[in-house]
Amino acid sequence: MRDYWLSKLFFDLQNPAAAAEYRTGPEAVLARYPLKPEVRAAVLANDVAALAPLVNPYLLRFYFLVANMPEEEFVRQIRATARATGERQHG
Amino acid sequence: MAELVGIYAASHGPLIVRKWNALSAECRHTIDTAFNELGRRINAARADVLIVISPDHWVNFFIDNLPAICVGVGETHDGPPEPWLAEFPHKQMVGHAPLAQHIVEHAFTRGFEPSISYKLALDHGFCVPLWKAGVAPMPAIVPVVLNTVEPPFPSVRRCFEWGTVLRDAIAGFAGNTRVAILASGGLSHSIGEATMGAIDEAFDRECLQHFASGDRDTLFDFLDQRMAAAGNGTAEVRNWVAAHGAATACGFDLIHYSAIADVYVGCGFASWNAFKKI
Repeated sequence: MRDYWLSKLFFDLQNPAAAAEYRTGPEAVLARYPLKPEVRAAVLANDVAALAPLVNPYLLRFYFLVANMPEEEFVRQIRATARATGERQHG
Repeated sequence: MAELVGIYAASHGPLIVRKWNALSAECRHTIDTAFNELGRRINAARADVLIVISPDHWVNFFIDNLPAICVGVGETHDGPPEPWLAEFPHKQMVGHAPLAQHIVEHAFTRGFEPSISYKLALDHGFCVPLWKAGVAPMPAIVPVVLNTVEPPFPSVRRCFEWGTVLRDAIAGFAGNTRVAILASGGLSHSIGEATMGAIDEAFDRECLQHFASGDRDTLFDFLDQRMAAAGNGTAEVRNWVAAHGAATACGFDLIHYSAIADVYVGCGFASWNAFKKI
């Protein structure tokens, strides 16, 4: 299942003007989306692992480009989700 | 009647453009050589209309309403909205409304109900191959969005059948229009998920062998069993399957394949030589 409002936020931020506003002040943009508190916190914390299960992978990647996360850091964090999942599964 | 004059496929990884200047000279040469040959073949076909099959990467559609297949029936389409494609030379692209409408009407007689759009923006999936291959003069474009971005996806067999619908629609379109088909996407790649950047070269090479063999059931079974595990972007191989259907699984000719880690994509380029059967 997707988180609709998180997906909507990431979708809308593909617009360059919206992306520029977000980079200037994410709080004001986030206030327009009824995100669950834990989802909003994950966005502000750049928590890739928390957000990945909630949105389409392409939108996730778009978002962290908009958020100016370096490519290497995004790749490191998203790959770490596999290790975390594996550790949970193997207990 | 219209004539199907060519069927092609190419990868469209964004980094082919976005990261171009950072790629090695060898990598750029490999990509350029493949696209140049693809473009030579497309241009030699002298198509009046090019049907381009690509996913929509969250440009036109959202989870509010996400069609499995959408045919662009507009007189014009917008160029790519991605900022890194600002230098793409076409801000607007001419469509071919009569053929697009005919395809839709034919589809409804064949058990398909595609959605339609009078105004699509054509993202990198459509425009990277057209640009890098140097397609010129640009034919009228009939865009076909095939959802390979957000599940559920059309089945592989359904995509093949969609290709036969395109072929038969072209064959039944009045006039002397020359029509070609370009499938955009694939081969294996993984974007925004835990395997990001992984390329399953073994999958790609076996997949290409199945396209070449013409044994459609073996191809379908292989893709059903292996495609999902080869990365989320690998779903775009469905576009190649649609092209394969348009070619009735005949005449596959691999132009080039390389697993190019620097662009995150198993890059494939191909054409089919089956169009003379119409």
